[in-house]
Amino acid sequence: MRHFDLRLLAASSLVLVGLAHAARRPQYGGTLHVAIASTPSSLDPAALGQLDAVTCRNLSSLLFDTLVTMDDFGRIRPALALNWQAHPGNQRWQFRLRPGVAFDDGSLLTPGAVAASLRAGNPNWTIYALDDSIAIELNSPDPSLAAELTLPKNSIVKRLPGKVSGTGPFRVSDWQPAKKLVVAASEDYWGGRPFVNSVEITLGTSARDQMMLRELGKADLIEIAPEQARRTAMEGRRVSESAALELVALVFTHQQPSPEDQKLLDALALSVDRASIKNVLLQGGGDPAGGILPNWITGYEFLFSTEFNMVAAQQRRAEVPYAPAWTLSCDPADSLSRLIAERLALKAKDAGMTIRPISTGIGDLRLVRTSLVSVNPRVALTQVTAALGLPPPGLSGDNLEELYKSESALLESHRIIPLFHLPVNYGLSPAVKNWGEKRTGAWDLGEVWLGTEKP
Amino acid sequence: MSFRRKLLLVFALTVFISVAAVGWIVSVLSRRAFERTSDDRTLALVKQFQREFARRGDDVVHRVEAIAASEPAAHMAVAVTRGAPDYGAYLSEAKSIADSQRLDFLEFVDGQGTIISSAHAPARFGYKESDLSLTQPISKDAYLKQENVPDGVVLGLFATRAIAIGDRSLYVIGGRRLDKDFLASLELPSGMRVLLYQNFGPAFSAQLLIDPSGTVEQADKLAPLIQAAQQKPGEPTEIIHWSSDPANNESMHALPLRGRDQQLVGVLLVGQSQRSYVELEHQITLVALLVGGAGILLAGLLSGWTAGRVTRPVEQLAQAARQVANGNWNTRVDLRSKDELGELAESFNQMTRELLEQRERLIQSERVAAWRELARRLAHELKNPLFPLQLTVENLLRARQQSPEVFEEMFQESTATLLAEIANLKSIIGRFSEFSRMPQPQLQQANANEIMQGVARLFEAQLRSQRAGITCTLDLDDRMPMIAADPDLLHRAISNLVLNAMDAMPEGGTLTLRTGHDGERVRLEICDTGTGLAPEECERLFTPYYTSKQHGTGLGLAIVQSVVSDHGGKISLESAPGRGSTFRIELPLNMDKLSATQSHAHAAKPASLI
Repeated sequence: MRHFDLRLLAASSLVLVGLAHAARRPQYGGTLHVAIASTPSSLDPAALGQLDAVTCRNLSSLLFDTLVTMDDFGRIRPALALNWQAHPGNQRWQFRLRPGVAFDDGSLLTPGAVAASLRAGNPNWTIYALDDSIAIELNSPDPSLAAELTLPKNSIVKRLPGKVSGTGPFRVSDWQPAKKLVVAASEDYWGGRPFVNSVEITLGTSARDQMMLRELGKADLIEIAPEQARRTAMEGRRVSESAALELVALVFTHQQPSPEDQKLLDALALSVDRASIKNVLLQGGGDPAGGILPNWITGYEFLFSTEFNMVAAQQRRAEVPYAPAWTLSCDPADSLSRLIAERLALKAKDAGMTIRPISTGIGDLRLVRTSLVSVNPRVALTQVTAALGLPPPGLSGDNLEELYKSESALLESHRIIPLFHLPVNYGLSPAVKNWGEKRTGAWDLGEVWLGTEKP
Repeated sequence: MSFRRKLLLVFALTVFISVAAVGWIVSVLSRRAFERTSDDRTLALVKQFQREFARRGDDVVHRVEAIAASEPAAHMAVAVTRGAPDYGAYLSEAKSIADSQRLDFLEFVDGQGTIISSAHAPARFGYKESDLSLTQPISKDAYLKQENVPDGVVLGLFATRAIAIGDRSLYVIGGRRLDKDFLASLELPSGMRVLLYQNFGPAFSAQLLIDPSGTVEQADKLAPLIQAAQQKPGEPTEIIHWSSDPANNESMHALPLRGRDQQLVGVLLVGQSQRSYVELEHQITLVALLVGGAGILLAGLLSGWTAGRVTRPVEQLAQAARQVANGNWNTRVDLRSKDELGELAESFNQMTRELLEQRERLIQSERVAAWRELARRLAHELKNPLFPLQLTVENLLRARQQSPEVFEEMFQESTATLLAEIANLKSIIGRFSEFSRMPQPQLQQANANEIMQGVARLFEAQLRSQRAGITCTLDLDDRMPMIAADPDLLHRAISNLVLNAMDAMPEGGTLTLRTGHDGERVRLEICDTGTGLAPEECERLFTPYYTSKQHGTGLGLAIVQSVVSDHGGKISLESAPGRGSTFRIELPLNMDKLSATQSHAHAAKPASLI
């Protein structure tokens, strides 16, 4: 009897262990339901630039590949290009293509198709299609060309009339512009077939509706606003958080701030109470920012001041006998921006300045939110300044000191006051397995598989 | 102006004045009635607004009380008692509670006046609520207040309640906006509207004036009224002229809105459109005009008919009188009415009858007198030749009986005398016969000056041979028009007048032949400086067989008058004893008669050929 009990116990243990192992084993099949707020009207990566950089990259990565990719630490990894070589001077680069890769319309990836795709987005480049590789010649040396090739706009796309074709892990199954996108797994994807059969993305879904869909179990992946992330996590919901990828900043829209404007902008910067905004408006999310790029990318961002000093702000303000009433514009659909703008206006008033938040038009100041497109600091700074209408940083080398000087010069131009770096947050249902949380906030839906858990 | 037109004018004026007076009275009465109605409606709307205001105030109070009694507020109050609250935890609390209670404003304020959470200005956490007086008791009623929001300042109806936990308090300040939605929620009678001026500054600003649709166009026109409400106590009223069309005028009543400290926070403007009144006035005017026009038309018809009834007999009488004046004494007025006009007509007819009878008697007596005169003249004329005839015959008989030797000689002389006297008798008889056979004038183009000159030439020698000298003077108009006349008859008539003139100047004098014209008529004057005539002689001068001379037939001037009359003219005499005489002949041009005569002649020629 005792031996029987022991055997029964051992058998039961084996069954339980087996069941537990089966629950962790990747499973093919199922549809991953995603809800996002963006409303793209085209799937062409060139047109996706209208969206924020993170969403653009994540949607693009479903259908298209780039020659190379970048990992969380900024290291370049092969993708459609197996290897690459920069000629001395970083003005000519050559990429050898991965053989046997096909577009989703069945045609093979050729150097000519790659060259045609890249030429469309980079008219200044001279691109040669060689036997099994392509060569890119630049007008000036660019040590970061490989990092630039990781951007969504450099995805390899085969453009046909009324249609785009890619080599990504999924292919388009149903496309309703600005409403819905359904992609099906590519069975012969060069990186291996995705676990899920399809991904159904509902576009234009408000944050409230995304939350509702997740609560009802109709969405496996949703966006979570930074100020909601902490509360959502405290409520026991599953939240994925990236590193700080989004810059919140004040941009002075006038091209050349006068000396008086510079003093007022100094006073405004000193009046910004980042701590209270972080604690109350951001609900603890995000990091106060003194620099344009976050510290985790550059390592020097802490050197820029985020000081809140109302007395100093008032003194600086007093140096200007007459201060104009500035307007502060922000995205009227973004309640967080609106709240931050109102708080900035209140504090500016305490400092003796008049700033009036407006919902329409472009004010003297703009409160902007822009995502960093790359973890490569050189590429990121160039792209951010271009997105914000600031003068280009003028980088030529690839060293950190030059980057620091360039960013310092931008800040001293008084055109921009960095406020916060915010992470990108996603809400995940329990069924989502193998979610590779990345600092860049990138989706890797090819590796995700769906469990059987219910919300 | 005829009697009928005068009557018509009087009728029309009477009707017009009556209608105008009635229209004016109705207009004045309607205006007063409208003003009373407008005042009543404005007062009713103001009372409605005050009731709505009070109802909304009670509603806000109840909702704020409900919030103060709610569990989240209690938790917040407890948290406040424990020290510095976590503003982040309550960031959206006020907003969610305000949404659930349908309030536009909601703030939770701690005992030190620090805002814990704000629904309408979430970014104001940590700031002091300046309007909260912690030393004064909280008003139980709702009150008006100007509230700072991120977009600026707005006007609201607020209520405050306190949650006391131990010795600490949490204040709940909630309210609703007084904005265009509030104005839109007021049920207004037709033609009325409500505007709200939010008194956020000393100077008038058009942007602060709103109506249910938002901003008000031409708001500057209301600035004086609003400033009057701002500066003076009371509730001023003013007529606003929005355009040149009076129908767009609006009566605006300003109702000052005051806050807790009696400061003016807004001005409610109750507008009453004048369109209905103006349209009513237009309708009254239109009706008055239509009635007046119809009245005038009716008056015209009635007056025409009445005037016809009244004035027709008068006009008949006037027409008859004119005919009598023109010599038609047979005229009769046919009126059968028995009123005064009938009597007048009968009297008129009686008068014409008597006139006719008198004329007949006069003609008869004149005829008798003429025959007597003719007989006298004939006797006189015939007596003169007969006496020589008698003497000659008696001498001839006596000579045959007494002196046969001289009979033959006397016979010859006597027969010559007899023949001469018989010729004289024939001449006398011929003149009478000629007068009885006056020919009709043969019209042709004639020059009166030439006729006068011809007469002057004819008598030139005779005038010179006169014992006493008579000077003939021609005073002729150079621009005399041609006339249609018989030159021979005119020559004869003027010759007669010249002979008369010569007879009137036995002692000599001046004979003047003068012509002239006035466009329609020509004038021929024969003036002498002779003895002249007495008025009674002048009256009878043109009577046939009347003569003032010793040796005249009395036919000369009768012939002249007959010739002048046959030419459609008239002859007149100016004379006084010792001052000479002037015969004036006035003749029409008669050129139309000439053309008619010629056309008759032309038309008659072919017939004569046949």
